[in-house]
Amino acid sequence: MPISNDVLTRNNVKVIGTGSKTLMLAHGFGCDQNMWRFITPVLEKKFKIVLFDYVGSGSSDLSQYDKERYSGLEGYAKDIIEIGEALQLSDAIFIGHSVSSIIGTLASIEVPTLFSKMIMICPSPCFLNFPPDYLGGFEKQDLLELLNLMDKNYIGWANYLAPLVMGDNNPSELTGELSSSFCSTDPVVAKGFAKATFLSDYRHILKDIKQPTLIFQSKNDSLASPEIGRFINENITGSELEVVEADGHCLHMTHPEQITNSIFEYLNK
Amino acid sequence: MKDKQTTLDSAISTYTLNNLPNGVFITDVSKEIVYCNDYFSTELEWEPNALIGKSADIIFTLASKVFYQTYLIPTLLHEKICEEMQLTMINGKGIRIPITVNVKSDNAGLIYWSFFNATKRDKLYEELIQARETLEQQAEQLKLLASTDELTTLLNRREMKYRSTLAIELAVRSHHSVALIQLDIDHFKKVNDVYGHPEGDRVLKELGIRLKEFSRKTDLVSRFGGEEFLILLNDTNQQDAILFCQRLHQLIGEVKAGENYIKASIGLTISTPDSIFKTLYAEVDAALYKAKESGRNKTELYNRTGIKNLNSML
Repeated sequence: MPISNDVLTRNNVKVIGTGSKTLMLAHGFGCDQNMWRFITPVLEKKFKIVLFDYVGSGSSDLSQYDKERYSGLEGYAKDIIEIGEALQLSDAIFIGHSVSSIIGTLASIEVPTLFSKMIMICPSPCFLNFPPDYLGGFEKQDLLELLNLMDKNYIGWANYLAPLVMGDNNPSELTGELSSSFCSTDPVVAKGFAKATFLSDYRHILKDIKQPTLIFQSKNDSLASPEIGRFINENITGSELEVVEADGHCLHMTHPEQITNSIFEYLNK
Repeated sequence: MKDKQTTLDSAISTYTLNNLPNGVFITDVSKEIVYCNDYFSTELEWEPNALIGKSADIIFTLASKVFYQTYLIPTLLHEKICEEMQLTMINGKGIRIPITVNVKSDNAGLIYWSFFNATKRDKLYEELIQARETLEQQAEQLKLLASTDELTTLLNRREMKYRSTLAIELAVRSHHSVALIQLDIDHFKKVNDVYGHPEGDRVLKELGIRLKEFSRKTDLVSRFGGEEFLILLNDTNQQDAILFCQRLHQLIGEVKAGENYIKASIGLTISTPDSIFKTLYAEVDAALYKAKESGRNKTELYNRTGIKNLNSML
């Protein structure tokens, strides 16, 4: 088992803010903890906030990247569990963006005492289409081609995910600012994360979530449609769905005020 | 000479984008195609002018559209130019064609695209990717072969030394202790002599499997020599290590060689803040020697003031 300091350095863990409750903020594919900076100034006034980068993302220790461990989302869930152990967290509130909602779910099932509430921003348990019951948005051929193009262009593609997550109709200044702020990602690591993210199917674990859960979904999101939000809502007992009138996959960046207001309201219930 | 230049000038003056052997098109801010050259009708089987006014989405696959949104556009925002992107285009008959594109944008928001068919280059890339994956798999297999003992599939001597060194360093840094255990099957030579080497190998294999199952995931278990096993227990104090050794004797006693149950002698030592692998191994080896000397089938604990027989301690 890695020791606390090693984990905190490995995952570039930052703890900010004050408050009796702790929020753990987990970034999605192609991003790092920078993506939370639009909502942290408000949240840190009332909560203690744990920020981190998954191994292979942001300013994490790339030398700790283990291809086998991170070939599935369970490996990323271990990062969350180990950070929780290092900081001796329990009953924290988890906020995950996109694929991190599923990673956090895996961690919460493995260590049920870690989180007392879950908040998911634009989650998708599966990007693949399984008509007629489930439409994740992509055919397998599309996703394989996406991974293939990542290989052939050999780019740290992940760091340029911003415009997709932002949506086409968001201001270009914001898009440009975001894409330039994302740190570069090793192409091989990015591909591994993309593979674990896009080819996985975790629909079956939703029913195992015991924590009250708030789901945010964007009305126009090419990665996760409102229907996917409804699917998740139906499959998690005691969950609430809020569909936001917005474009893109990154509501906490494009609509930070609305998101933080809803979070406060939900947590004060 | 002058006539030749005039002919050349005349030829060049009539040469347009439609004569180029590659595709050219322009899109506006809303991704609408505002111009495309004849390459689309002559090579890509689109009806002439069928694409004008249409979204560029119709000539790209979904994966390419994601790349367009996630890589091309941000690159253009920053650099105004994006070169050598491989994308997949769809021709007028719905066939997918790999292309390599160069793209640049202007201040009015127009995007200028030029591309060429990259079918052959794509095959080369496929082969390169395949070769890289094969090499990675082979490297992993070689690493596994180089680090494990063939018979028992436990760690081999070299890997055990390497990983133990790291584990001991980590323990020192984190102010934990590790336990090092050396186990030697008593009178193993007799097993081979009486029952033959295949039975000896089977016993080693069975014991190896049992040791692996008995240990925690974080412990290191190795076949360190012929009938000698070395185990490192991470984050373990003396009391827990002694308990572990007691259980080890029970576990070993369940393994049969021919008609008889095997027994083993065990050496044990606990790390200190200044321990390194070399000294710990010397200690555990001395403890094992003592266990053998004093009658076998027992555990001896090494301590800095002298070796202790656990039977007298428990």
